[in-house]
Amino acid sequence: MNYFQKMRGGGQSPPKVGPAEVLWSWIGSFLGLAAVSLLHFNILDQTGLMMIIGSFGASAVLIYGAIRSPLAQPRNLLGGHILSAIIGVTAFQLLGGQPWLAAAMAVSTSIALMHLTKTLHPPGGATALIAVIGGESVHNLGYLYVVIPTALGAGVMLIVALLINNIPKGRKYPEFWF
Amino acid sequence: MKEQLNEDFSPLNISEHDIIEAMKRIQGYIDITPGDFKEVYQAAYALAIKRLFNTLTAGSIMSKPVISVNREIALVQAAALLAEKQVSGAPVIDHEGKLVGIVSEKDFLQEMGFGATPSFMQIATHCLNNKSCMIGRLHNRTVGDIMTSPPITGTSEMTIGTISALFADRQINRLPIIDDDGRPIGIVTRTDLAHSFNMIGREHKS
Repeated sequence: MNYFQKMRGGGQSPPKVGPAEVLWSWIGSFLGLAAVSLLHFNILDQTGLMMIIGSFGASAVLIYGAIRSPLAQPRNLLGGHILSAIIGVTAFQLLGGQPWLAAAMAVSTSIALMHLTKTLHPPGGATALIAVIGGESVHNLGYLYVVIPTALGAGVMLIVALLINNIPKGRKYPEFWF
Repeated sequence: MKEQLNEDFSPLNISEHDIIEAMKRIQGYIDITPGDFKEVYQAAYALAIKRLFNTLTAGSIMSKPVISVNREIALVQAAALLAEKQVSGAPVIDHEGKLVGIVSEKDFLQEMGFGATPSFMQIATHCLNNKSCMIGRLHNRTVGDIMTSPPITGTSEMTIGTISALFADRQINRLPIIDDDGRPIGIVTRTDLAHSFNMIGREHKS
């Protein structure tokens, strides 16, 4: 297969899931985001801290909508977010003067690190990027960004995933922990 | 033999359609494309076959007890024994019971003046044209005179992968399995090998 033939794809898309899967994905993600949002808007907002970052929306797709995926397992969810947050904050602190470089470095390095640690979790890339482009409120947190919102928020989302994803008979979460 | 093997045990050619149908029966979004799954499946299947080839050993598939013939006995007697037991060849042992050779239809035919692998029709034609049929040559000879020696032997730890390669490379049909003292304890024939491949197939299905 040459370079251009590869671009034609030729494979097939996996089948559409059933209505029960759609419903449980909806319930899980609603409750997961409700939990972090409540903490964020009702408790932390007044303190200058935050609980919610954009990448949690992406995590919700995986841990409530594609729960069998290796990318959605606790090791990946927690490891991916925490490692990427560290990389993101570091990238901003070292290269913040060149935002384009800090942003590119944060995302690419966190992908590499997630691969190396077997914690690949796509929203981790967003977590790293937000550390750079998230504005003053994020920058002011420094490495606290790793703990609050990143680790704490991912932890809350994980607890909701464990509680909700195991209710239906045909669903089970996680496939593995670490 | 080798080529035949590859043909029989090439990974079952499941289609992407089969995979999609199977995925539909499993609840939840399965995060792999059917094409990738097929690739994983075929590689895993090949590894499983290889593992089974390397775990099934001569000891578990050989025919036993083995029917051996003494090198001293007359060919006529040996022929009668092979006919009675309905086998086409047997290990040959000395007076101590140690393996010294192997005797098969091929050796008889060769002794009768035919090539190594004549067809029945060749023999029939020959016999019809020459009343003697050359069978007379077999009188007054012993097994020791016509056996193939030294024999190719195996041990009970030999894997079926090794054995099938040996069958192909050395163009043999049976492999006597000997113990540490050189005594035959069993024999692996092409039939035994075929049965073992069948076992592998069944294990896979279940």
